[in-house]
Amino acid sequence: MEPFLRYWMAWPSVENFLSVHAWAWPLCETFHFFGIALLIGGVGLFDLRMIGMAKGLPMAALRRLLPWGVFGFVLCVVTGLVFVTGMHANVPSHPYDVLMTNVYLQLKFVFMLLAGMNLAAFYLTGMSRAVDDLGPGEDAPGLAKAIAGASLFLWLGVIYFGRLIPEGL
Amino acid sequence: MWEVLEAIENSGFATWVREAPTVFAYSTVLALHTFGMAFLVGFSSIIAVRVLGVARSLPLAPLEGVFPVIILGFWVNAVSGVVLTMLAARSLLSNPDFYIKLTAIAFALVCLQRLKGHAFGAHDAASSPAGKRWAVGLLACWFVAVLAGRLTAYSNFVRKQSAVAVVVATVLLLAARWIVLAITRRSGVHILSADDAVSRVRTPVSNTF
Repeated sequence: MEPFLRYWMAWPSVENFLSVHAWAWPLCETFHFFGIALLIGGVGLFDLRMIGMAKGLPMAALRRLLPWGVFGFVLCVVTGLVFVTGMHANVPSHPYDVLMTNVYLQLKFVFMLLAGMNLAAFYLTGMSRAVDDLGPGEDAPGLAKAIAGASLFLWLGVIYFGRLIPEGL
Repeated sequence: MWEVLEAIENSGFATWVREAPTVFAYSTVLALHTFGMAFLVGFSSIIAVRVLGVARSLPLAPLEGVFPVIILGFWVNAVSGVVLTMLAARSLLSNPDFYIKLTAIAFALVCLQRLKGHAFGAHDAASSPAGKRWAVGLLACWFVAVLAGRLTAYSNFVRKQSAVAVVVATVLLLAARWIVLAITRRSGVHILSADDAVSRVRTPVSNTF
């Protein structure tokens, strides 16, 4: 497993691009932050409505905003992959070693995995369909509220541990 | 003045936040600053894109209910921002980028206030050109504020290059969105369009806003 990850996690082409173009790393950082704002703005609003805030919003219409949250997530994933594959341009260590030793990066990935499982639970338990019928002023089922709370907690956790990664470098 | 800033940087509090060997000092303040940004910028931008015509089936009035979260985000960032400024007062207050960021935030707050008046007041924000102008202004100000905030850490030259790169990349993304919207509209496929027939049927009253 180690040779495989060592080979695929560090991309010399990305490292080289980041080394040659000083603007590329801050560009990715900026879009990583635009992505965070869009992700929380889209998904977080959906979660807060399920928990019971701004109940006048009908859930089916709120769903129209989710693509903006998904787009924010995609921005974060793409720029995040640049940080990993091109890490060597900025930090004097191999991304594989950082993955194996940096507890904050590990926790960030664990929280992302949990957020993904939480999302799967939202669909598999039928809550996704249940909340779709919620009109203005209607309360979400208890399980949907729990999933929404977990979603907010997990995504904020992902941001938190992401901010902590430099502590472990 | 310089001595005052130096004293602030060397104060016991600033030294502790900057240098304490715990993640609950500097990194946690930094993370709080990111949380605040996500709620303040994220939620107010969502309101702005709604006013600009995205997700038309979503009623505008109940969105006012998220303002407590937006205001909480602002205060979290005001406090964490002051703490972060204390840690490097001299370098930040002699950095033009820092003033660009603060100016952009000030203008963003004005836009947000005006947008709030237009979106939730007597006006019909979704169709009023003034409401849309404040929405565009808000998005532009947040763009500058987040960009300038990210770039404070870099040298002058890298900062200018990066700012140009971010503007170019954003224009390209907006152009790509415009092209996709134009193609889907022409072909009658509504992948990215503002709303679909299903949500319109389910929420018949929503388009009055």
